Amino acid sequence: MPDQEKLVIMVTHGPEEPELATIPFVMAGAAVASDVDVVMGFQGDGCRLVQKGVAETVTAPEFAPLAGLLDAVREFGGTLLVCAPCVKSRGIEEELVDGAEICAAARFVAEITSATSTLVY
Amino acid sequence: MATTHIDSELDARGQLCPMPIVKTAKAIKELGAGGVLKLLATDRGAVTDVPAWTETTGNELLEWHEEDGVFVFLIRKAG
Repeated sequence: MPDQEKLVIMVTHGPEEPELATIPFVMAGAAVASDVDVVMGFQGDGCRLVQKGVAETVTAPEFAPLAGLLDAVREFGGTLLVCAPCVKSRGIEEELVDGAEICAAARFVAEITSATSTLVY
Repeated sequence: MATTHIDSELDARGQLCPMPIVKTAKAIKELGAGGVLKLLATDRGAVTDVPAWTETTGNELLEWHEEDGVFVFLIRKAG
């Protein structure tokens, strides 16, 4: 679908900063619900959010719980890309949620240059 | 005023942004073209989110009003 809008959302904050960890998922949830193709990219501590069992521990005040937002993004077909060295340095390569895909910089660049817009958190 | 026929009702009271929209998108997918969804929400963000969502997705916001702190929206699926 060449007319499909695509949003790339880069996530660099982890569970220790629940609000900044949650806001990108709020944007992603609103986007997938609006028929926008969503690619979330997790770098730095952001990659912890797609480690199994971590999303369930993150709820920012006055925000929807992160686990439900992650489920919504996955259910609507959003793509979850995770930085290879970031997961390797944290030893969590084998602990990622189903559907999360480990990738390197060129894939992020390809997604960003083909997107309608990119948000960085 | 003629009464609008409601095909489906979604109770998103207590749900925080963007979950009312996420659940609305799911509920609308299950309706046939022209079907009407009644959405109940308490998140104030829904007042701006629902019109933005209908505009983006091509569905139609027939009307909305507030009733004892609950925002009630009638949305017709594009057809």
